[in-house]
Amino acid sequence: MIHKLKFSIISFFLIYLTGCANTELISDVDPNKDLSGVRSFHVNKFEKDGRGIEIIIAKKLNEMGFKATHGSSKNIPLTAQAIVEYSDKWMWDITMYMLELNIDFRDPETNYKFATGRSYRTSLARKNPEEMVDEVLNEIFKQQKGH
Amino acid sequence: MKSIKSLILFFSISIITGCAAGNKYDYNQADISLPVKGSGDISLGVIDNRDYVHSGKKPAKFVGLQRGGFGNPFDVTTRSGKSLTEDMSVALTRSLEKSGFNVDELYFSASDTSLITSVIKNNGQQKNIVLTVNEWKTDVMMSIAVIYDLLLQIKDKDGNELASASSSSDGKETVSGAGFEGQNSRVATSTFETKISRLFNNPEIIEALEK
Repeated sequence: MIHKLKFSIISFFLIYLTGCANTELISDVDPNKDLSGVRSFHVNKFEKDGRGIEIIIAKKLNEMGFKATHGSSKNIPLTAQAIVEYSDKWMWDITMYMLELNIDFRDPETNYKFATGRSYRTSLARKNPEEMVDEVLNEIFKQQKGH
Repeated sequence: MKSIKSLILFFSISIITGCAAGNKYDYNQADISLPVKGSGDISLGVIDNRDYVHSGKKPAKFVGLQRGGFGNPFDVTTRSGKSLTEDMSVALTRSLEKSGFNVDELYFSASDTSLITSVIKNNGQQKNIVLTVNEWKTDVMMSIAVIYDLLLQIKDKDGNELASASSSSDGKETVSGAGFEGQNSRVATSTFETKISRLFNNPEIIEALEK
């Protein structure tokens, strides 16, 4: 009986812990949109973000060879070919970690969302924001390279 | 020993059902940004062509599955209590109006072409948008997957097709990791916004709507 109980408890925690190491990296780009023609971006600050994620996204886009600015939706440069919107979600597990990062590219005239990327990482698979921004943007642009 | 057994039974039931039962999603709150600008009058009809709804196996407000700890499925329905296609129609009407159109909502009881043509002719609009939902369903456990098969048509006042675009998943398409009901609803709604707006970003559709 004790052995069965021990086995049940161990099985329970093994099943529980697999949920703590769950990752998803997804992107979805409109095949009718040629991303290679989009060179300038403006990253809109997410109102609930107090960690400066928009600065990290703009910096990464600049490192990738694009022209990226960041700030509010009120100071979008006229030359911006895409508006970048993002949302981040954080959780606490001993320390705070970024659970999910969503990045969308939108047409500045119609607000149409032509590309989206998402990284979801639970506690045991956590990465820092710079790494998550990196993987989401690479995943979005990778889709177009495959065409 | 008895109290330990009761505790284990309680936790087992909690794990099996989790927060899986009774979930509801808010599709009528979808904020779809369409890649078209237009003006004038237009009609819109959204048809539910899901075979399990027609057969009565699932109600029209069924939108997907939320699985418990052992993969056991529970139905997810619309928060509004209305059919999925009614919620989609409300959201799409709002988006078309934001894009500059005056929208007349039409109701088709079936996907029968002659019925659709008859309704369109009676309504008398020059341009008519018909969205047929052959499948739309989320499946949520550790991640959120969506299975969909959508057909968008623009028809003239006689019910003749001017343009069409379709989109379907190859089996289950994973769109995110899963969270609680509110977050899952937002992801499902966001996925719907993306897929629908993508259908409109077709050169023939845009031309048929904007001319």
